[in-house]
This record gives sequence, structure tokens and C-alpha cells, in this order.
Amino acid sequence: MYNIIQRTGFIAFVVLLFSGTAFALDGNEILRQVDANMQPQSYEMYRKLINIEPDGAKKEFVLYTVKTGQDKMVALFLSPASEEGRATLRLGDNMWLYIPNVGKPLRITSLQSVIGGIFNNSDILRLDYGVEYDAVSATEDEKFYQLELKAKSPSVAYDNLKMTVDKETLLPLTIDCYAISGMLIKTLHYSKIKDFGDGMVRPSLLETDSPLHKGYRSVMLFAKVEKREFADEVFTLNYMSRINELRK
Amino acid sequence: MVATFLCTFLLLPHFAYGSDEFSFELDEIEKKPYRFGGYLELRGEHMDINQGSVFTGLNFADPDMSTMDLMYGSIQLDGSYEYGISSLNVQLKAAAQQDTIGWSDLTVINSAYIALQPAPSATFSLGKKSYKWGKGYAWNPVGFINRRKDPNNPEDALEGYITLESDIIKSWQGALQTAALTVVALPVWDGVNEDFGERNEVNLAAKLYLLYRDIDIDLILLAGNSRSDSIGIDFSTNLASNFEIHGEAAYIPNLEKILLEEDNSSSIREQAAFTSLLGIRYLSENDITTIVEYYYNGGGYSADEMTHFYQLAERGLAEDPALDSLLLDRAREASLKGYGRPQPGRHYFYTKMSRKEPFDILYFTPGIMALVNLEDHSYSLAPEAVYSGFTNWELRLKFSLINGGKYTEYGEKVNSNKLEFRARYFF
Repeated sequence: MYNIIQRTGFIAFVVLLFSGTAFALDGNEILRQVDANMQPQSYEMYRKLINIEPDGAKKEFVLYTVKTGQDKMVALFLSPASEEGRATLRLGDNMWLYIPNVGKPLRITSLQSVIGGIFNNSDILRLDYGVEYDAVSATEDEKFYQLELKAKSPSVAYDNLKMTVDKETLLPLTIDCYAISGMLIKTLHYSKIKDFGDGMVRPSLLETDSPLHKGYRSVMLFAKVEKREFADEVFTLNYMSRINELRK
Repeated sequence: MVATFLCTFLLLPHFAYGSDEFSFELDEIEKKPYRFGGYLELRGEHMDINQGSVFTGLNFADPDMSTMDLMYGSIQLDGSYEYGISSLNVQLKAAAQQDTIGWSDLTVINSAYIALQPAPSATFSLGKKSYKWGKGYAWNPVGFINRRKDPNNPEDALEGYITLESDIIKSWQGALQTAALTVVALPVWDGVNEDFGERNEVNLAAKLYLLYRDIDIDLILLAGNSRSDSIGIDFSTNLASNFEIHGEAAYIPNLEKILLEEDNSSSIREQAAFTSLLGIRYLSENDITTIVEYYYNGGGYSADEMTHFYQLAERGLAEDPALDSLLLDRAREASLKGYGRPQPGRHYFYTKMSRKEPFDILYFTPGIMALVNLEDHSYSLAPEAVYSGFTNWELRLKFSLINGGKYTEYGEKVNSNKLEFRARYFF
């Protein structure tokens, strides 16, 4: 009798294990598809950042961004005039800031803000989520996947993310960004899905709020997200003053 | 899924979110072949004069002047024009100043050069161009063809030199990610770069930049007869995501230095000089950015040499102004040729701490800067507040306390403090 119970229990365990394996969500695969849907490997795009203060006052910034490979990215400020010509370069965990008057690139950290407000360098030079994070858990309900992401290295601005992904479009809807202490730093809200051409259908609006800056909001609008190949030499310190020449 | 995409696509207009709170129009990102911009600056200063100090005596005719007010206005114009692989880049600056003593003005071409870029990896330029070599924030020992920058305003644009330059970049995958070689020919002829050094010479400067295992490294060389040959190295890297370290070292085998002799005459001495800088940049959890730098100026004057100069000037100033004082003339000459330049000593400490947006005040950055002569313990301490919340405006209020004992660098400056308000409008 004991053997029968033992065997039945073992079979039940194997069945459960098998079914669990068969239907377990692969968070990293979902993340890979989210990344693929959000942006091509090499591209150029324009973004407008709007900082909104509690009294409704706004300040706007326009950036031109190019990226190649997994971790090479540069962003150039086109406006306002006070920021024009500033460029930030990212090569993996390395970041530099070029200010035209200073005339040379300075090493900066990912957590620093180039422009003030809620966005920091990491938000402006964000790489694919799968490059910086591992999915440590994934759950689902009828409409959404919930991914819990853990930073691969301590140099990443947010230690872990909780991402809600739309199951139908495989695009992110909200992302809660947490510090290593567990404190919620900010929440990103993606919306307004739009066809950018060449099969690129993705959100064109990103709104950010933060419990650390109550009443303040930041908005990022996306335009002309297009696949384009760039030489690796574009992503170097010597090229930072010439990024504008890449624009067509 | 396709239906969802099509629905959302059809419901949304291209590039413009007309019905929404926010819009992003195509004309905001349209590229024009030309670019024009710059800024207007207005600055007001009030200084308490350090009566009785050496430099007050050397610079001001009226020994009883106790305060000085100054109004300064300037305009910087930046323009560029692109045509195919070529571009023309120009930066002009015009400034005027009215102070208690009188009026002065200047117009300068900071840069004006033509660049050719046949490929992203190669650029050639000809014309006047400003160089900012080195990793230091307040000083650059390896900046062999840089203009000397003001540690109080290290981010200001500086006048360039007329050069012919080539810049070649190469990138790889692996430990060595980037190598870039910049070679500069800098002639010194009548009317061309005359203030660089000896005339009728063509000098060569080269900088080899390497990004090796996430470390920026520059190997820098200056060869030519206008100045002493020089060789240097600098580096910069992040030890942690919030901690950067940088350094520079330069060796000048035949540095020419003006030195006061025992009989108060001045002579030119040739000596080997080693200069170096070590600095960090640290971002704390509460968003305070701290820059700290130590600067060793091997070609500078020792505390004893500076004391000799101060004593000479003081003896000259004590003589009857009605008579032409030989001692005073010699002190003024020594001041112009080296003893009176900014940071003439050997050991300096610089720090700047700034806090981004405290108390949720967006675009507000208070900070404090300290510059200390470590040999004579004199210093300049300057708290400041910068506000950039109005689009295209930058407002800065700064107070400088300048202090030191007798025969010290900051104790013998013209002013003992300075209150400054600066407004810049960018266009």
C-alpha cells in the first residue's frame, strides 16, 4: 500500500513537473520579443522630452539619437538653444557628455541628469531591456504578461524592473523602476501605438512619473524611428562634435 | 494582432498628436544646411579691493580705491554651413566692459575653419580651431596647444590657433575598442599664431586616443621650436557607476622660465619640468556631484620665489611715485612674464560640489567651489547658485571669498571678495 502511494505520488510529481516545463513562461524570450518590437538593432530616431511642473509649466528638449549593435548609442540635443549641440555617448557601461563650449567629452555616470527633471542619462541612452536585464520571473493573466527583471550589472541605473507587457502586441505598457533598496524610483507608461514604417509598430509616447518628484511629469514623444546602419567610428569621442552631420 | 495595429495606426495621425496635449511636428526636426546660434551675456560685479596688496599696487594708480563695480556684456555667435562632405564652422565673440576705472572692449574670432569628412573615420580641417586636450576639469598639464583656461569658469569657450589637422578613427570589437590619431600642424609666422612662441617655425602636435578596457587613454606630443618639446599622457575611467577617476602627466625637458635673480634682475632659465594632475568625480546617493583635483605644476614658482617677487614689488611700491622706480618696473615686468599669471605656484587643490535640484526645485543647482594654493595655504572659496528654468536662460549668482596671509597668492590679489550676477540668453 505504501509503495502504491509512493509510486502514485512520484508519477503525479513527474506529470506536474512535465506540464510545468511545457507551459512555463520564458520571461527572457518575451523580453527579447519586446525589444525587437520596440526598436531595430541599428536605427536613428527623434525624440521630444517635455518636463511638466506641478503648475503646468513645461520645458521641451528635442534629441536626435542613433544606435548600432547592442550597446553603442549617441544622442544629440537639437533644441532648446541653450542645450543645442550637447551630445551624450554610450558604449556599454561607459558614458560621456560633450558640451560645445567645453569642447571635449567628459565621462559621466548613468544616474546623472543631463537636462534636469525626472529623466536621467540612462533613460535617454536606454539600451535594449534584454541587454541590461534578466527576467527572473514571468506570470500572465488574460491580457498581460508580468515580468520581473533584474539588472545584470550594478552599473545599471535601476536594479530591478516590473514590466507589464500586452500579450497581443508584445509591447510594454508600464514599467516600475526600483532601486537596489527596493524603493520605487519612477514608473514609465507607454502608449499611443503607431506605425513608424518598415514594419516598426510601437508606442510613440512615454510618460514618466516619480514618487520622488510628486506632481512632476516627464513625457517623451518619438518620431521617425527608422532602421539605418552606422559605422562604429561614429560612436567614438572624436566624433561627438560631428553627430549633427549624420542627420539627413 | 494585425487588426489591432491597423486600427491604432489609422486612428493616429503621422508625427503630430494634434488632438492631444503634446505635439511633435516634423518641422521641429527638419535639417537645414546652415546653423546659427550663440548667446548674449550680461554680468555685473562688485568687488571689495584688497587695499595694500601687491597686485592692487601694481594694477591700480589710486591706492585709496576701496571698491570696484563692473558691468560686462558679451555676445558669442556660432555658425556652421554644410555642403556635401565639407563644412564651414565659425565662432565669434565680442565683449565690452565698463568698470570704475574705465571702458574696454574686444572682438575675437575663437574659431573659423573648414572641415572635410570623406568618411566617418577621417576628418581634415584647416583654419582657426580651439583645442581642449586633457582630462582635467580645472587644469590640463597635457594641453600643450590649449589656451590656458580659467578654473573659475572652466566651461567657457576659448580662442583657438590656426592649424592644419587630420583626425583618423578606427574602432574594433575587443579589449581595444577605439584608436584615434589627431595630428596638428601649428605654424608660427608673422600675423599667424604669434602668441604661441618663437616665430618662423612649424610645430607638430599629435594625440593618440585609445579606449582600452573601458579606460580612456591619450598619448600626447608636441614637437617644434616655438615652445619646448613636450610629451604627456592622460587617462579617465569609471571605477564604479558613480565614481570617475582621471589624471594627466606631462614632461617638458626644456621649459623656459622667467626667474628673478638675487639682484632683482630677471633671467630666462631652462629646466626640465614635470606637471601632473589627479582628479575624481563622484555622484552621491543624494545627487551631490563632487569634483576634486590635485595639480602639481612643476614649472611653477616655489613659495620662496613668489615671496622674492612680492618683496620686490612692495619695495618698488614704497618708493616715491613721482620718481620712476626701477624696482617697480622690474616687478611689473616679472608679473607680466610669469609671476602674475593665474596659479603661478606649484601645488593646488580644486574642488567643486554641486547639488542637483534640491527641495524639488527643478533646474536649480547650488554649488560651492574652492581653489587652494597648498604651499601658502591661501584660497578662493566661491558658493554659487545656477537656475536654468526659463527656456534658453541661465542665471548665476556667485560670491567669491579670496583670502590669505601676507606674501601669499590669494592674500596679494586685487580683491578680497567678489559678488557676481550673470545672465545668459541663448538663441
